Amino acid sequence: MVPTAADLIAVLPEIVLAVAAGLLLLVEAFLGGRLRHGVAVLVSLASILVAGWLRITMPLTGDVWGGMLQIDQAAAFVDLYILAALLLTVLMAGPFLARNQIDRGEFYSLLLLSGIGAMIMACSVDALALFLGLELLSIPLYVLNAFLRKTAISVEAGLKYFIVGAFASGFLVYGIALLYGGTATTNLVEMGRRVAAAGQLTPLVAIGLAMVVGGLCFKLALFPFHGWAPDVYQGGPTPVTAFLSVVPKGAALIALVRIVGGMDLVTVSSRWILVGGIIAVASQSLGNIVAIVQRDIKRMLAYSGIAHMGYAMVAIVAGGKDGGSAVLVYLAAYTLMNIGAFAAIAYMSERESEPHFISDLAGQGWRRPVVALALTVCLFSLAGVPPMVGFTGKFLVFRAAINHGLVLLAVLGVINSLISAFYYLRVVYVMYMEPLPRREPAFPRSALISAVAAVTALAVVAVGLFPTPLLRFADEAVRYLLPG
Amino acid sequence: MQVEHLLSLVTLLPAAAAVLFGLIPGRFAAAHRWLALLVSLLVFGLSCFIWTGFDANTGIFQLTERLDWIPQYGISYHLGVDGISLLLVLLTTFLVPVVILASWRSVSVNPKGYYISMLLLTTGMIGAFLALDLFLFYVFWELMLIPMYFIIGVWGGPRRIYAAVKFFLFTMVGSVLMLVAILYLAWHHGVYTGGPPSFDYLDLVVSAPHIAMGPTFFSSAPMLLFAAFGLAFAIKVPMFPFHTWLPDAHVEAPTGGSIILAGVLLKLGTYGFLRFNRGLFSQEVWDAYVPLIIVLSVIGIIYGALVALVQTDIKKLVAYSSVSHLGYVMLGVAAGTMASTQGAVLQMVNHGLSTGALFLLVGVVYERRHTRLIADYGGIAKVVPIYTAVFILVTLSSIGLPGLNGFVGEFLILAGSWKVQPVAVVFAGCGIILGALYMLHMVQRVFWNPMVHEENRQLKDMNARELIAVLPLLAFIVWIGVHPNTFLEPMEAAVRLLLTH
Repeated sequence: MVPTAADLIAVLPEIVLAVAAGLLLLVEAFLGGRLRHGVAVLVSLASILVAGWLRITMPLTGDVWGGMLQIDQAAAFVDLYILAALLLTVLMAGPFLARNQIDRGEFYSLLLLSGIGAMIMACSVDALALFLGLELLSIPLYVLNAFLRKTAISVEAGLKYFIVGAFASGFLVYGIALLYGGTATTNLVEMGRRVAAAGQLTPLVAIGLAMVVGGLCFKLALFPFHGWAPDVYQGGPTPVTAFLSVVPKGAALIALVRIVGGMDLVTVSSRWILVGGIIAVASQSLGNIVAIVQRDIKRMLAYSGIAHMGYAMVAIVAGGKDGGSAVLVYLAAYTLMNIGAFAAIAYMSERESEPHFISDLAGQGWRRPVVALALTVCLFSLAGVPPMVGFTGKFLVFRAAINHGLVLLAVLGVINSLISAFYYLRVVYVMYMEPLPRREPAFPRSALISAVAAVTALAVVAVGLFPTPLLRFADEAVRYLLPG
Repeated sequence: MQVEHLLSLVTLLPAAAAVLFGLIPGRFAAAHRWLALLVSLLVFGLSCFIWTGFDANTGIFQLTERLDWIPQYGISYHLGVDGISLLLVLLTTFLVPVVILASWRSVSVNPKGYYISMLLLTTGMIGAFLALDLFLFYVFWELMLIPMYFIIGVWGGPRRIYAAVKFFLFTMVGSVLMLVAILYLAWHHGVYTGGPPSFDYLDLVVSAPHIAMGPTFFSSAPMLLFAAFGLAFAIKVPMFPFHTWLPDAHVEAPTGGSIILAGVLLKLGTYGFLRFNRGLFSQEVWDAYVPLIIVLSVIGIIYGALVALVQTDIKKLVAYSSVSHLGYVMLGVAAGTMASTQGAVLQMVNHGLSTGALFLLVGVVYERRHTRLIADYGGIAKVVPIYTAVFILVTLSSIGLPGLNGFVGEFLILAGSWKVQPVAVVFAGCGIILGALYMLHMVQRVFWNPMVHEENRQLKDMNARELIAVLPLLAFIVWIGVHPNTFLEPMEAAVRLLLTH
């Protein structure tokens, strides 16, 4: 197939990022000295902003690339959220890399490539494009996780993520093959239509679907495929962890909504609600309970991330347009508060090779008021306390569950967010209510990272107070995500 | 005088001031203190306009303001005041300046954070009383949690972290289930009317009583919803057996935190019972729960009093006395007659005044001696005569001496409940005797018994600031006791409407 001009124009934002990714490698090769890192950051920032501007201003053209990709409101929603995450990660990464003497242009190049993968995954309506996107998303991340190459736990994180990721890809591609066998199409919309029309799952489709969902659950770190998350979160460079904790999850969630929603799985399979409900509740409970005993804040956030994807899963199980829009809003909320939290952690960490003990934050509430307050806001938001945006997300998720008669899922969900409040609060009281330790940790100051944390925290409150534009955008997007 | 958007102004001014405070560097402690006092007095002044602009002849919500907030989900910013919330809002705005005066010297670490927390808390409290949209109510309800958590946890006593976390988690246990209930009500409204869902109180008052009952408890949605709301409020009140967070929170909280906690936060529980459990559910559901509420209230009255009797710490004693006193309020609410309900609302205000004053007074001697143990005092009446006089007046108000406020509230509650719940009234009457016993026993040991600790001879009497803080409370204690009609009249129509809807 030869791509037409329209095809190329439709993916112009991705192309811009790809060109920038290539350019960054050239910069790395030919520019020397101290200039290099600054140029790399600027090139990546510029490309992200241009890509975002293009996505906002360009018309949404619908089906392109022979029906492989669909550029619509849903794609725009996810693209903008991926680009926002990229932007914040790059801003955070600049000072972070310099501090850890790993300020190399490849970092940004890989990050952009990974972002392109996520964007492709989000707009793909074909199983093969989906797989392609997933690989492009994952492979750079394997490298990025091991970017602190002299630190054992970072290399370990990269290796673990790689092995588990390879497994997940295997699951996914095998599942796709089976689904193709069962439905005779790789187009997700068509596949959904055929399964929904059949009214039941044939064994072939059921097994294929289970493998696809399982593969995506790996990426989402959902029970029972969550095992990799704590080690990978703990070991990787903090900006990469921030990116990893939101972008692949977002792309995978959108894919899940497309597949599950397109097949109308709630009516097709009587067991889906049970299976999905168990995945959701088990992820929440396991994540929240194990998070309580964590001493390393990055590990704690890894378990909290498992729980959060469990909440999002509730909305996917509930299904329908309101469920889909709840997933989108939850994603946006989760991205903001998680990146804010990781920015604060990147700010308040001595050396990346050491664990990030929660106890190291003692007394920082008064010593570094801006970053500590930002972290506090993000943690309360993660706990789902209004008026933060995390509450808006949870509110919509549980609302979707109740609207679809799944009151039990909502009740178990709120009980879980109660449990989660306990460990989020612990970080807050360590920061504000415990005295500074005698040997105060020497956190290098970085205005840029603290600005990222502060701006994100402000957004967490602002969007929480005035969620209407976000909700409207999500409602709009979901009409394309779940047509019919 | 009429002020546009008066309710919003009163609600949001403290939060706006709190944001502004964030910009003033923390080293200007005096500026923070004076500005906080100024803002709180301004808010109180503005809230007086609610009183003057209020029409006591009608029970419907007045001065309402409504703005779309999240229109696609039926959520609006909707505020309004009726006779019940009027009194409680005034109590809140009245107590905040008192609290700020009481914290003048005792809060020396990070005063900036303290006053920011206090102002945010004020917005949460006023907003929760005025909210007419259940989503908005929930936001304000939860908004109170974070500042109070910090007030206890940062400026509290030795076991403050334990107390703060316990307070936070206990309150959240109730409120998360309430959130599910609110979502269910909104969804049901959409189903019932065939239109969009709504979180508006005035809409839900119409639709919520029509939720169908099922054959068993667990299949009866209204019963479960009532329980979800009830649990949230019962923990806040706190009713026996959900009271265990209260003594910890009170003992560890700084004086200002205790005053606000006892004076206002607990009232949100009893207010919630009246406004939501009573207002949103059918008579059938309400009647099914009345026996349970009555029994728990009476247990709370007796149990709180008995435990108060054996306390060695004055603050803990006052904390347990709150459990007992709020038992009366809940009894009045549950009995549900005109007189008992009016008595309950009045008693909410009374308890706020007298227990607020007691915590303030305990704080006064604690600042001087850094102990709250009854055994560390004794015979101080001669040393601090003004303090003694004030303390005894407040004690008498608390135990319900005729002529002071406590008597009016308790009398209305018991007299109003007699017709419907005579047995409960008999037990509650015993509680009054126990109440007099533990309070007077404590006063005896603190003020009269022989002086055994020499350091008490140097105890300084109350200074001008402390007197200014406590005198307004005394004025209202006497005013309500002598002429309760000033306060009963505005709420009468609202209570009647609530009971007959």
